Amino acid sequence: MAIAVEELEALVGKPFPGGRYTIEPYRHWLMQDAVGGPATRAGEASPMEGYYGALAGMGLSVDELFALVGATADDGPMFGEAGIDVRRPLEIGATYRVSGGITGVVRKEGRKAGVFDIVTFRLELVGEDGELAAVSTNSFIFPRRD
Amino acid sequence: MALDAQAGEEIPPLLIDSISSEPMKTVAALLHDSNPIHFDVEAVQALGMGDRVVNQGPNNMAYVVNMLASWAGSPGRVRGLRVRFLGNVFAGDRLTARGTVTGVREEGGERFADLDVWLERAEDDRVLDGTAVVALG
Repeated sequence: MAIAVEELEALVGKPFPGGRYTIEPYRHWLMQDAVGGPATRAGEASPMEGYYGALAGMGLSVDELFALVGATADDGPMFGEAGIDVRRPLEIGATYRVSGGITGVVRKEGRKAGVFDIVTFRLELVGEDGELAAVSTNSFIFPRRD
Repeated sequence: MALDAQAGEEIPPLLIDSISSEPMKTVAALLHDSNPIHFDVEAVQALGMGDRVVNQGPNNMAYVVNMLASWAGSPGRVRGLRVRFLGNVFAGDRLTARGTVTGVREEGGERFADLDVWLERAEDDRVLDGTAVVALG
């Protein structure tokens, strides 16, 4: 049975464990090489690191995030939207503190899709100097098949 | 160097002739993404999704970022990206990332361009769309 919407709504505002994320030079090179970007090991990082860092540093694995909202990878969760807001360029080699949590839950029912939940979460990356560097906002769509 | 931009301007597109399955394996490892649809064709077939592995969604975002960074002159100038995922991309797909400037504004002493951006297999087959913000310097 699908998790009750009230249970999901109770998660809004509760912080994830959080953590730290370092834009490792070798990792930046490999990722950029994989996606056809400039493969560099120093200097400005791809803004995609704001996305990768948010997920890697939130203190939960993606599977744990799914479990938190009563889902598993086998339920076929899908990406909904993703946003990166870079307040200042991210730097290769820099370490960021990651914090945030679930900011919204919406249950919907489609004629073909059936019942599904849209879960939105927001994570901040703060530099070692305490300044906000980037904000990552993402939503996943969770089909709820009873 | 300051970048010039005008509303209505199309920025240079980025063409990816054929999405390769090999980089998906690297990305799966780097992102700790255990979903086999990104590296195991048999898993894709078992789900009835065809016989080509599925690209990671963030890779599709990254192609748009690459287009923006190439136009802007550096990745640090790409200040914002918000996208909707509209469909799966499969190994072997031919993709084009495109963007159009929708406005130019000044904020906090800095000039920014706002853009509509998208990734398409064909003109009527978008797999991702959204908006972006680029600092013009």
